[in-house]
Amino acid sequence: MTKTILTVDDSRTMRDMLHLALTEAGFRVVQAVDGLDGLEALDKAQADIIITDINMPRLDGFGFIEGVRGNEKHRATPILVLTTESDAAKKQRARDAGATGWIVKPFNPDKLIDAIRRVAA
Amino acid sequence: MDPLAAIKVTFFQECEEQLAELESGLLAMEAGDTDSEIVNAVFRAVHSIKGGAGAFSLEALVRFSHVFETALDLVRGGAITPDQDVLKLLLRSADILADHVRAARDGGEVDEARSHAMAEELEALAGGGEGGGSAAEADDGFGDFDFKPLMVSFDEAPASEAPATEAPVAEVAPEPSGRSFIIRFYPQAALYQKANEPGLLIRELARLGEVAVEVDGSGLPNLAEMNPEDAYLGWRVTLTAPKADIAAVREVFEWVEGDCYLDIVEPAAQSAAAATAAPEIDATQPEVDVMALIRQAQEAVIPQAAAPAPASLEPAKAASPDASKAKEVALDAKAQAATREAGGSPQTIRVDLERVDRLIDLVGELVINQAMLAQRVAECGLQRASSVAMGLDDLEHLTREIQDSVMAIRAQPVKSVFQRMPRLVREIAAMTGKEVRLVMDGEGTEVDKTVIERLSDPLTHMIRNAIDHGLETPEERVAAGKPREGLVRLAALHRSGRIVIEIVDDGRGINRPKVRQIAIDKGLISAEANMSDDEIDNLIFMPGFSTATTISDISGRGVGMDVVRRSIQSLGGRITISSRPGQGSTFTLSLPLTLAVLDGMVVTVAGQTLVAPLTAIIESLQPKSGDVRQLGPNASVIAIRDTHVPLIDIGRALGYRQNSPSPTESVALLVEGEGGARAALLVDAIQGQRQVVIKSLEANYRPVPGIAAATILGDGRVALILDVDAVMVPKPLERAASGPSAQTELAAPAPSLLKAG
Amino acid sequence: MTDAKAQKSARTEAKNRNELISFLIGDQEFCVDVMAVREIRGWTAATMLPQTPNFIKGVINLRGAVLPIVDLGARMGLETTDPSDRHVIIVTRIKEQQVGLLVDAVCDIIMPGEATVQETPDVACETVKVFVKGLLTLDGRMISLISLDHVLPEALDDGETDDHANMAA
Repeated sequence: MTKTILTVDDSRTMRDMLHLALTEAGFRVVQAVDGLDGLEALDKAQADIIITDINMPRLDGFGFIEGVRGNEKHRATPILVLTTESDAAKKQRARDAGATGWIVKPFNPDKLIDAIRRVAA
Repeated sequence: MDPLAAIKVTFFQECEEQLAELESGLLAMEAGDTDSEIVNAVFRAVHSIKGGAGAFSLEALVRFSHVFETALDLVRGGAITPDQDVLKLLLRSADILADHVRAARDGGEVDEARSHAMAEELEALAGGGEGGGSAAEADDGFGDFDFKPLMVSFDEAPASEAPATEAPVAEVAPEPSGRSFIIRFYPQAALYQKANEPGLLIRELARLGEVAVEVDGSGLPNLAEMNPEDAYLGWRVTLTAPKADIAAVREVFEWVEGDCYLDIVEPAAQSAAAATAAPEIDATQPEVDVMALIRQAQEAVIPQAAAPAPASLEPAKAASPDASKAKEVALDAKAQAATREAGGSPQTIRVDLERVDRLIDLVGELVINQAMLAQRVAECGLQRASSVAMGLDDLEHLTREIQDSVMAIRAQPVKSVFQRMPRLVREIAAMTGKEVRLVMDGEGTEVDKTVIERLSDPLTHMIRNAIDHGLETPEERVAAGKPREGLVRLAALHRSGRIVIEIVDDGRGINRPKVRQIAIDKGLISAEANMSDDEIDNLIFMPGFSTATTISDISGRGVGMDVVRRSIQSLGGRITISSRPGQGSTFTLSLPLTLAVLDGMVVTVAGQTLVAPLTAIIESLQPKSGDVRQLGPNASVIAIRDTHVPLIDIGRALGYRQNSPSPTESVALLVEGEGGARAALLVDAIQGQRQVVIKSLEANYRPVPGIAAATILGDGRVALILDVDAVMVPKPLERAASGPSAQTELAAPAPSLLKAG
Repeated sequence: MTDAKAQKSARTEAKNRNELISFLIGDQEFCVDVMAVREIRGWTAATMLPQTPNFIKGVINLRGAVLPIVDLGARMGLETTDPSDRHVIIVTRIKEQQVGLLVDAVCDIIMPGEATVQETPDVACETVKVFVKGLLTLDGRMISLISLDHVLPEALDDGETDDHANMAA
């Protein structure tokens, strides 16, 4: 079954790149432009995996992850955070919020698919 | 264009937006705005540019934006105070960043010396803010731009040869000797709560070499005592990976560090054979076996964490046939070249609004000229089938098309207004103690920029109103059998040449008896008025329907729905409400897509040519002598079918004349105001219907009471566009002179003013 | 007396001040800074604006733009003008707005340094003080230098608010 990945990023460039890499890898992609939009998207559609940016307007990645984890329906959905490598503190905050893992920005497609495979069977 | 080149185009477009955001944010800060959201937006702008630039390997851009971002992060965190000097530096840096973006896009050169000097200034600033650590930190950030895969795709190298050969972790030098590791791994509940799965981690280990896995179930309690959310199992994995190092092994557990007990030892002297007690696994098919093993033990314990095994390989398989394609996505100079070949610059251009408006003016002139020409030709008595007349028809068609196209340039999605609403909703929900969910639809619906700009205030007010007045408290809702959380829906759509915006709530609906009582108390309607539910609901839009006694802090601020209605009207729009008690209210705004043209009725009043908006006109009629009745010293009404409506002489209303002509020698336009009230407007003659180009009076002179705007007619003269609602409102002086309300007087003889018609 | 010609003369004089354009209202001569002047055109019938002060003559179509016309004489408290074909509209730019000034006739361009400027004497009444920022003497003529800042001033806003209140129904 094709897996659905929700990507949450305020950058159109990032969203497009994720979309390209993920669809080429055979995933179905649902996009959201910020944390709130992401939560709304999850209300409407089930995602198997979530990839989220941290710095976003309205609701940032931390808030978004907390929101996802607060919903019974999505407690077991893997969430990967897109982050910059030097942000150790941010990784920790994301983990505290309930993130499953992270992808270092800028990612390359192989790394991205690798990371996804580490959280989704 | 290949997809990557297209993304790159998007990237540069986005860069321009981010640069604009960056600049306006810094300028706002310079002007003293300390809103943390601005600092965040400024940081995000640079952060986004850096992110995208990294993906496209635009190294110079990455380098500069990184230094810039580091400084902004410190400003954001409060380590650097953004005083005027700092802001000047940041603004100059924004300029350099813009240069970098454009150089990356167009292949030009950046003034290296200037950029370098600026980067040094930023580093010095950042160094001051965080105690000199910035340079090292900056270097750290670049360690990341190695685009070689950290791990080779599993399917590419399925053999027992350790696949990590080609690319060990970039930052860590591989240790020379191959060896084996014993890993003891005991997850804690937190690991599962973050949706990590031991099975998948062990599969990762298997990619490094041969694994032997033992499950330790000794921690399992009796079934009765078992908490499905807790973690009871542990694993002992023996990994034989001749070319892996301990860092690579650790990296597998990177994400779960802190959420498990992990012990990795490398018994140098010991061989992998020491672990023979565990079942051996054929590394050529590691997933299936390992997974099966793990799942057997796991499934009963943590059902929600275990996904079906057969799906386990899917992503990897799907990825591998396209490995070559995937490499293209490792973005490089090729994409850059492609972008340039495909036309170089982005597909949008930024144009001064003034230029667009000038173009709109010119097209307006063209429309007028075309109309004049058509009139002249008609006067010459040429036949409609003549080639000149037919040519003119084509010209008219083309002119209209040009006009539409030009108007479309100003169109923008309503998103920019809509996206401010979620925050507003959160704030008001917090203030009122209500639980609210905002749903938005049709954010992409486009409408003229000016309409968008002027929608913000009325929408803000209406959303406030919907939450504050419309929605009940969670307790009330539960008591009424509704979900605790109230729903507010904001939707935009195009309908028959207009944009319609709906604000829907599922709250208590309009309290009709109360509204009716207020209207009676305020003298807006007579106590006997027989009104339909709809008419009562619409009373809230009436001027003078001040809900001051019931208005709370939030919705109040001295603004009533009549002000909302006025601002919608000033955009040429209409607002209506429909409400169902206990089920909620729906406010519907209908607005023209552009403020530039209007369908109007051209009329003559006291020698002046005026235009009445067609949307307000219900019909035109010729008053008969018996229809008009004097009412009080200054007012009269006209019987239209079985009701009486106020008769207003436009000539007098606008001060063009002191005495009205005989109604029977004039024409009456039956109009409906935004609140649903009707009136008959007396004019001398009707010239015809016409689409006119709207010219702002406000911008060119100042607002004129009773006049909505101006236009230029076919004869080249300026004609004024009537503000129907303004002329329908009785003037305050008259009201003061004639008792509690002129309208009350009017309402008495007829069943009700609103009932009229 | 085109802008181009005026500018050419300005350059040859190379003085700091701009040249001025002088015009007649009744038997008095006034002038304004030529830089504020966009064009000069003959009178065309204006569309009346309701509820406006008597010195607002209405609006005209200036190549697709709506141009308000101020009767400058009436604005300064002189007699109101009854415009005819011989009257002239000086199109000026005041702050961000274009405004047409209705005057009787345009007379002259005064070169920089050509006339001496004297401060407005104290005898002047309030209205004059608001609009006249100096007096020029040239060939025995007295020319009042007009400040355009107050042609559409706050004072008009006040009047306008009253008009609002008087808005007829």
